[in-house]
Amino acid sequence: MPGERINGTVLTFFSTASAVGKTLISINMASELAKAGAKVCLVDLDLQFGDVCNYLLLDPSHTIADLQKGIQTQGSECDVASFLCPYEYDGTVFYVLASPKKLEEAYNISEKEIKEIIRRLQTMFEYVIIDTTSMFSVVNLMLLDLSTIVTFLGIVDFIPTIKNMKIGNDTLRSLNYDENKIRLVLNRSDAKSRISMRDVERLLGVPFDFILPNDFRAASKSIKTGVPLVLEDEGTELSKSLRELVSRYTNRVYAGDESYETENSGGSGWFSRLFS
Amino acid sequence: MEYHVMLVEGNRLMLEQLAHAIKEAPGFTLAARYQDPMDALGQGVVFHPNLILLDIDQQSGTGILADFLRVFPNTAIICMGERWQSEVASHVVQSGARGYLVKPFSAEELREAVDTFGKSGMEVSSHTMAFFSPKGKSGKTTLIANLAMSLAQKTGEQVGIIDADLQFGDMSVFFNLDAKSTIVEASRDVDFLSPISLNNYFLPVTDKVKVLCGTQNPSLNDKVEIEPFVSVLNMSKNLFRYVLVDIPAGFNPTSIAACEATDTTYLVAMINGGYEIRHMQRALEIFKDWEDYKERVKAIYTRVTPCDIAAKLQIEELMGYPVEAIIPNEYLVVSEAADNGRMATDIQPDSQLSRSINKLADKIIGHKHIRWDKP
Repeated sequence: MPGERINGTVLTFFSTASAVGKTLISINMASELAKAGAKVCLVDLDLQFGDVCNYLLLDPSHTIADLQKGIQTQGSECDVASFLCPYEYDGTVFYVLASPKKLEEAYNISEKEIKEIIRRLQTMFEYVIIDTTSMFSVVNLMLLDLSTIVTFLGIVDFIPTIKNMKIGNDTLRSLNYDENKIRLVLNRSDAKSRISMRDVERLLGVPFDFILPNDFRAASKSIKTGVPLVLEDEGTELSKSLRELVSRYTNRVYAGDESYETENSGGSGWFSRLFS
Repeated sequence: MEYHVMLVEGNRLMLEQLAHAIKEAPGFTLAARYQDPMDALGQGVVFHPNLILLDIDQQSGTGILADFLRVFPNTAIICMGERWQSEVASHVVQSGARGYLVKPFSAEELREAVDTFGKSGMEVSSHTMAFFSPKGKSGKTTLIANLAMSLAQKTGEQVGIIDADLQFGDMSVFFNLDAKSTIVEASRDVDFLSPISLNNYFLPVTDKVKVLCGTQNPSLNDKVEIEPFVSVLNMSKNLFRYVLVDIPAGFNPTSIAACEATDTTYLVAMINGGYEIRHMQRALEIFKDWEDYKERVKAIYTRVTPCDIAAKLQIEELMGYPVEAIIPNEYLVVSEAADNGRMATDIQPDSQLSRSINKLADKIIGHKHIRWDKP
């Protein structure tokens, strides 16, 4: 077992406002990484109103609530893989750990249990991608700690959102993570807004690491068809941008952690065994 | 207006202390003071008081109040007790007193009490509303701010907003307020407060609309506990005819407590091309635990385009629940107003947005239009 053990990269998408594109971008991140051959699990930790399965048109037979019960009763014997839901499109496959079906289940999952689940997934996947909610909850703070990279997503629409982005950014920086752990990404940069992006950067005190263009139509269409933008053949500017964003992450992740590659090189066969 | 106060207080030392406060207060003169209420009833008329401060801790409460109301039918009466008791306060106000004041009070507190209760009396038939959104980005802060202004304008009544979105409350930004006291301080102090002193934690936006602002930064959110928060909410009912509570998205201890403690819960979502209606259905399922959910829980959708009756019917059919209001998408009106700390209903009163919010205000006003009879 120790020879096969890897501790995968955890990429978390966080924001201080809703509807900034966390779900859409995390889905595309998962897709693009999977397309490149990586083993990817996307975890929907918007436990109450998660949209990952909605956006992918998945009807999962198990959710994180079932996995939680499995771990409670079977401990380390629990077969985590059997609680995941595969997403497949045009030969690309990644796995989804769905948010609970019932709201009352969402209310009863503890931070400790979530941490245990992410830890387990890290030993099975190269990338664990996490979609979160927009607040500094106990769960989210734990996820920020645990993550390899935190993508803090923002949009520029009106002053209250900017204020919350500033508060969120300041709070993230106050947690004293390494500088390159937090990535500031602006979504829908050219949406109609009365506020200039440069002013926002000045207010935040840091430049955006990446900027995604606005393409509401392509995004809505992708949500309706259940096909992530990067898996579609049509080369919209948004899907190109998303690919570029992903490539930056992989480059930096690999460059910053070379030992990871060698550690991982022997384990190519385990994946098919896991999900056969 | 000059107040000629008759003070009725059984405790000799307290009588002294309160008499001193009255003499210190600008605009107040002490017309008469009595330890024995029977003396006050028999002799007080001689001094023509226009305000009576009546201790009810040591008396048979409302019995003695009824006697004073009979003997002094045209004089405002404010009852006094040693601590804030909301049941007693609403009981005496319903019996005809203008308000309830915690003693001892300072000259300043007396002034504020009279300013607050003097004209219309302490509020006892408040209508409280919580605005719940499943995921956030629902447009509810815009809605609440504009609705509050509309309610105040239409009724001339006092309207309070409590920003209980504990991490990212935007109300202070909307109204361009520099909040020195927020819900954190109000909740911390609430055990020592009465409606009069709580009033100071609210920041005035106009002479009718006041806001209790949210926390200044996210790390303060765990400084607000549920029990004192609910006390603040309940005490606010004595200050305002309408109380609108902005709560954090989703189900959490704060949002649940606020929905439980208010008369009406509005579920608010923004139509955004995703799964908003489905989320509203999920949220509604939880509220169905209330036997009276059909009366208490109402759905509002914002950014509805086109914003017409057909759209409303379509949403109702998809959600399987009546829709109380639909609000159109007027991003530029709203954002321009919000960025300037003003209200869309002010800037463009004829916009479709303003009209739809005014229509909702009419529904709310119609809902509980009849006030209790004032003496």
